[in-house]
Amino acid sequence: MAIATAPGRTFDEPVTDHVSRIRALWTVIKRKPLGMVSAGLIIILVLTAIFANVLAPYDPLAAQPEIRLAPPSWAHPFGTDDIGRDVLSRVIYGSRISLWVGLLAVGIGTCVGMIVGLVSGYWEGRLDLMLQRVMDALMTIPGLILALAIVSVLRPSTTNAMLAIAMVIIPGNSRVVRGAVLSAKQNRFVEAAQAIGCRDYRIIASHILPNVTAPILILASIWLGNAILIEASLSFLGVGTQPPTPSWGLMLSSTGRAFMEQAPWLAFFPGLAISLAVFGFNLFGDTLRDAWDPKLRRQG
Amino acid sequence: MYTYVARRLALSIPVLILSSLIVFGLMRVMPGDALTALMGESGNVSPKELEKLRRDLGLDLPYYKQYLIWAWQMLSLSPGDSIFTNEPISVALKKSIPVTVELAVLAMILGLVIAVPIGVISATRQDKPSDYAGRVAAITGLSLPDFWLGTLVITFAAIWFRWIPPLGYASLWTDPWTNLQQFLLPAAVLGFRLSAATMRMTRSTLLEVLREDYVRTAWAKGLGERIIIYKHALKNALIPVITLVGGQFGTLLAGTVIVETIFALPGMGRLTVEAILFRDYPIVQTNVMLVAVTLVTLNLLVDLTYAWLDPRIRYQ
Amino acid sequence: MPTRDPRPLPSRSRATRREFLKRAGWTTAALTPLLAGSSPRRAFAQTASPYPDWMPPSPNPPKRGKLLTRASAWDPPVLDPRLTNSVGLSQFATLTSNRLVRYPYSDEAANTTDLTLKGDLAESWQGSPDFRVWTFKLRKGVKWHNVAPLNGRELVAADVKYCYEQYAKEGVQSFTFQEIEGIETPDKYTVRIHLKTPNTMFPQNLAEPVSIIFAREVLEEDGDLKKRLIGTGPYMIKENTRKVRVVLVRNPDYFDQGRPYIDEYHILSTPDAATRLAAFRSGQSDIHFVASLSDAANLKKTTPAAVIQEYKTVQTVFGLALAQDKPPFIDVRVRRAISMAIDRQRQVDTIYGGHGILGWGIPYFYFQDKMPTAAQLGPYWQYKPAEAKKLLTEAGHPNGFETTLFYYEYFPEMSSQVQVVQQDLKKNLNIEIKISKLDYTTFYGRYADGKWDGMAWGFKTGYATGLDEQTYQYMHSKSTKNYWRFADPVIDELVTKLRRTPDRAEQRALTKKVFEREHDQVTRMWMPYDSGFLVWQPFLRNTGSLALRRNDGYGASTLARLWIDK
Repeated sequence: MAIATAPGRTFDEPVTDHVSRIRALWTVIKRKPLGMVSAGLIIILVLTAIFANVLAPYDPLAAQPEIRLAPPSWAHPFGTDDIGRDVLSRVIYGSRISLWVGLLAVGIGTCVGMIVGLVSGYWEGRLDLMLQRVMDALMTIPGLILALAIVSVLRPSTTNAMLAIAMVIIPGNSRVVRGAVLSAKQNRFVEAAQAIGCRDYRIIASHILPNVTAPILILASIWLGNAILIEASLSFLGVGTQPPTPSWGLMLSSTGRAFMEQAPWLAFFPGLAISLAVFGFNLFGDTLRDAWDPKLRRQG
Repeated sequence: MYTYVARRLALSIPVLILSSLIVFGLMRVMPGDALTALMGESGNVSPKELEKLRRDLGLDLPYYKQYLIWAWQMLSLSPGDSIFTNEPISVALKKSIPVTVELAVLAMILGLVIAVPIGVISATRQDKPSDYAGRVAAITGLSLPDFWLGTLVITFAAIWFRWIPPLGYASLWTDPWTNLQQFLLPAAVLGFRLSAATMRMTRSTLLEVLREDYVRTAWAKGLGERIIIYKHALKNALIPVITLVGGQFGTLLAGTVIVETIFALPGMGRLTVEAILFRDYPIVQTNVMLVAVTLVTLNLLVDLTYAWLDPRIRYQ
Repeated sequence: MPTRDPRPLPSRSRATRREFLKRAGWTTAALTPLLAGSSPRRAFAQTASPYPDWMPPSPNPPKRGKLLTRASAWDPPVLDPRLTNSVGLSQFATLTSNRLVRYPYSDEAANTTDLTLKGDLAESWQGSPDFRVWTFKLRKGVKWHNVAPLNGRELVAADVKYCYEQYAKEGVQSFTFQEIEGIETPDKYTVRIHLKTPNTMFPQNLAEPVSIIFAREVLEEDGDLKKRLIGTGPYMIKENTRKVRVVLVRNPDYFDQGRPYIDEYHILSTPDAATRLAAFRSGQSDIHFVASLSDAANLKKTTPAAVIQEYKTVQTVFGLALAQDKPPFIDVRVRRAISMAIDRQRQVDTIYGGHGILGWGIPYFYFQDKMPTAAQLGPYWQYKPAEAKKLLTEAGHPNGFETTLFYYEYFPEMSSQVQVVQQDLKKNLNIEIKISKLDYTTFYGRYADGKWDGMAWGFKTGYATGLDEQTYQYMHSKSTKNYWRFADPVIDELVTKLRRTPDRAEQRALTKKVFEREHDQVTRMWMPYDSGFLVWQPFLRNTGSLALRRNDGYGASTLARLWIDK
């Protein structure tokens, strides 16, 4: 996907002041109800993950086969699964796995992508050409296939699924960062700083990075949702997280589908959790974009 | 213009070479190999027989030689045989490509048909209820795993309507009616996700364009809303959308994997995934290269179109 | 999405009553006293299901014609019977081809476990007194399919000789055929086989569904059997499109005059379980299989016209396989401890809703009339966690140890079992198991390769019908099919002796000894199992499915006797 860089030179120095950025975000959130919803969802997710051991009424791994496939009840609000484990507890702990998978995959993918993009965009030249070709090459392999291949190499496990997803994220991220860096370099301030003889790292830190963080965070937010979905697909193909891990993707794709008709709650609740989490992250990404994208901020 | 084309073409070649190296490398690094999988059904093949088979298939050669042999096969357009079935890959591809292409194209069409109107409505009635409804629907589409939607669809079609798409793939040319029945549901499932991303893109680019000066001028001139949107705004807004759709093609191909499995369609996605799980190197490598070439070509075309439409890009 | 049926289910079985209770929404609190008090180790009797395990043949005259379709989970990996034992091939290869001898079809069998050998291509056969020479007299006038290059020529003894020699040379059948010293064909219709060592059960090995007679001309012309499958059987392959369908058409020249009844049989490749079920419901598939009683009950509720047959469970195919050729599992005390630490009765009661069996290896009817009870499975089978802990400590692992377990989810209940076992072993013996759920090919390759460490949810191959296959071929230390990697000289001696024992009663006694030894030494730790249920569209006749020969899979040859009443 080619991204054209903004033509011409501008004096529109993007917002570099962190405080005003957060304030911009807060304004948008307050004004747009969807923004509040998304922020709320994310906060709930994070809190659930952190306080899972307090919130979960049962041990998510404690099997009680005698009460397997029990429908939702007061004792087990989300019912029990195929070996009698409490689904509510598993969904709660699942938030940890999903957040963990998401954060690690997106974290690694974003950081590496950012570094590659920065190096590529700032210094350009032959290094840029080479790096971008490698990134392009990675992007020609469809994401799920690449992830599947990497997990097959590394052997199926939660960690390896994360690494595979990170690899899928890196090329796209690096391109966006590169684009943002190139655009930032157009800025007169950068030209001036270079003319003065400022060190590269200072220029990067003060002028380039702030310009880059916005698109990165927006992308990261959306990729957090995608990472959860890819992990679920890998589990469907049989190479994702391993039992008995209470990952939403595994719950949905294995027991959820297997017992879909007899015990629909096995799929409904993890599915709902995935949907809400992805929904929240995507919407939040939208909100961030609404708040920080300079082009959209010019609201009439 | 021509230097731009030439430059982009020249850059595509190393990309393809790198792709081939990546996929070749990945397949070789995977534990277990095709032969163990092939012989695994029985388990009592003597090591001598295994060695002979390995030699016959050329798997005992040093990696770089295997790579060169395969690269030559790719360039001369004769992909060799599958390890598992001994069937020529070209035959397998001839059968599976039309399936995936048809699925992808139908999904794209359905996706666009849903997405663009909703995107337009969303943008023109920004922040009103219809905007919210549209955005929520779109994001829901992005949040549901493919396999889950597909399973739901096929299960409840059977329970409620006692009907599922006819199994046993029928080609579009020999039996168009059956074929369309078979592809409608899977294309809809895939298209649903695609439409979500496209709708949001349509909305955001249209929003941007609607604030442009020339649109304001048109408003001021008193032109009707419809003319403004369709004649002026949409055309420009659609450029990035086309870019997005081109980019989505890769995601689409990945999505076909799951949908093809659930709806029992013998397409490339399913072929590739099973080949990875079976360690059938030739199929995986060939398929991935085919997709790579397609994507690179598509990107090239999109870039060229973009450059042609927006002269500023050409002169970078 | 109706799932909770307010109408009470027929309470003919404990299992369905429990289902009803659960669905009525009783809380755990209410259930616990009900369940806690209900499982003293009672004498085992498999819970009866409301579905018959035998479909008697239809008394009406068969109707000819029509089309049978089935959505199948399996694709044939290759067409070459020398290279695979897979049910993906047998599901139709047993219809395109014949064997020398076979087991009864559904309209000839006296009951589900009737294993009287019948002639397929052979009319009669005779063993020498020392059981080293077996003479088979072939039927006259059996024709190969009327397609090139066979063009309907007659099957002769030389064809059989060629096949068996090829099988012995290479491939997965070779172990079975390598006990042949030589084959004579004194005339066109006589095959005389000389064995290296005596084997009273040799003909049974030839009746296994994988020992089909293939065409010499095809192998000679093509160089392999991967492209064409031509036989003498009731059906011919009209189309074989990988991952789409296999189309079989009636062979008009089939030697069994008047059969098969059905004109065409389509096997549709449908890898996804939900899709197969949907296909059955929408009438696109005529035969379906479900693994558990609750699945069957659910299907019956939503598709009342479906005819459900319990597939007779006589053995378990799956169990906990340990890398017992090396420590720690080479120590019999460790194996016994592990066996005593796993609550198998509970798995049957819960995961299989009371309908599954406890698990034993050799089909029980080879050594006794009734299913083994828990007591008969030996002291090391019983659930005795305290003793297990003591034994493991004695063996030098007072604090347990860590190990791995890999498996492939053949059916969802298996995953449940694996995780319950993981919990049992952790709780009782502090053995930490790291589970790896693999895809089919990786699993099969690694398991059959025999070099894995730790544990696996292993199997013995699903097609074996004959006693020799079930004992010697799977349990002898030198056999290539001994996936469980044990080498027990007592068992070696017993199974070899078994091959030389013609007397039925003595065979049973010997087999029983093998069974007992197996459980004493815990060479193979069988886990509970349920053979499941076959589901038929109501217009099918002669659908009786026989033990060890499921009609949709390895037992497909009996479909030649199936007919459609529409």
